[in-house]
Amino acid sequence: MRNDNDLVSKVLVLDSDPASYEKIKAFCEENNLVGLKVQPDNVMSVLRSNVDLGGILLSENYDGRAQGGIQLAQRINAIRSELPIFMRREGTASLDDLSPMECKCISAAYTLDDMRGLQDSIAEYIFSLSYPNVLVRGIAEITKAALESQFKGLQVDVAAPYIVRDRLIYGEIFTLIPIESSWCRGYMMLQTEEIALLELVKAERTHMSALEGFDFRNLNGVLGEVTNLVWGAFKNRYMSNAARSAHLSQVPIIINHLHRYISFGSDNPQLCFKYTLDDSAQEPARKLDIFQKFVFNLNWAPEDFTENLISVQDLVESGELDLF
Amino acid sequence: MAQILVVDDSSTVRNEVGDFLKANGLDVAFAVDGRDGLVKLKADPAVKLVVCDVNMPNMDGLTMAEKVRSELGNAGVHIIMLTTENSPAMKERGKAAGIKGWIVKPFKGDAVLATFKKLVA
Repeated sequence: MRNDNDLVSKVLVLDSDPASYEKIKAFCEENNLVGLKVQPDNVMSVLRSNVDLGGILLSENYDGRAQGGIQLAQRINAIRSELPIFMRREGTASLDDLSPMECKCISAAYTLDDMRGLQDSIAEYIFSLSYPNVLVRGIAEITKAALESQFKGLQVDVAAPYIVRDRLIYGEIFTLIPIESSWCRGYMMLQTEEIALLELVKAERTHMSALEGFDFRNLNGVLGEVTNLVWGAFKNRYMSNAARSAHLSQVPIIINHLHRYISFGSDNPQLCFKYTLDDSAQEPARKLDIFQKFVFNLNWAPEDFTENLISVQDLVESGELDLF
Repeated sequence: MAQILVVDDSSTVRNEVGDFLKANGLDVAFAVDGRDGLVKLKADPAVKLVVCDVNMPNMDGLTMAEKVRSELGNAGVHIIMLTTENSPAMKERGKAAGIKGWIVKPFKGDAVLATFKKLVA
């Protein structure tokens, strides 16, 4: 499925051939990929710290070693099997000559001579779901407004939204709320770091007192209310009251705290937004990153997407009292 | 003896609304859900205004509003919903329960203070 909107995805580029690199860089720019180049010695540590990747572009002879890429693919697959690995090969875009164990770790192969195959693979593995532009823009708008109402006097920046195949949890505080409508069913997550949030509470940038912030349950409440505001606005704008099937399916959500891993039981990518709250007016400057992720694991029918029409009579600005 | 009861499962909202109202000279009590709200109202008949969320665990705000009238028999207290909900159907249910008004979050104290003060006078 083509990615016809502004969504990007971050990919690790593990390719030590300078000539190939330029072509891959151009490919990334043309195909909404943000390439992250990594030194061979740092690959595994970067993988441990980056939790919002869409995939990996890896050369077969990585680090100048024949089959170095295949061996690395197996190591990566052992710890991050959700990340599709696209392998650059010389002379063939097939995986037929590899063993089943090796093939298991590689999603697709490509050659520099014909990148159309890679383009198709990227569409299949990363940009496999289509998201209406108006929805993507609306989510960013709603969430920015919610953050601005809950964090006093801070600049809220929204990065370009992107697609994630990772299943790792960012930070220590994490909210999860169902999103259910006639055209989508899944979850929204907000994830952030406790210490960074506590710093903003201590600086009185929230509606929580500095003293209350030392109880982590109160810190939870800050992110909880942001989640509530976003969910409510999303529901008002995009969720329909159309009758839904009485036989709604459910799948278990699985969390492994040791590996900071969450699974929704599907291979679906996640739509991710990163918000940065900047308190640089203060000394020392404080910054809070909040990651918002949508996973529509139970139903995704963007062809049925609609925005709720609001009549003039119903239109009361938020915060205003509608007296009966 | 409080004038206003703020009912919300979010401590952030209770803080935000409560701090604003107290800073403007009003006496405020708090409850964490609809069930707690009913208990607090029964214990403090001086409350004249309830500012109440809709989506709460244990008992939601609209159910609480209905029970204030039917079980507590309190027709005198004004109830204003403060919620992310904006659906006409919910507002109709609120009206049927006798609520006084509806505010879609986020809370903007300056927009509602004068009305709140009139309702507790």
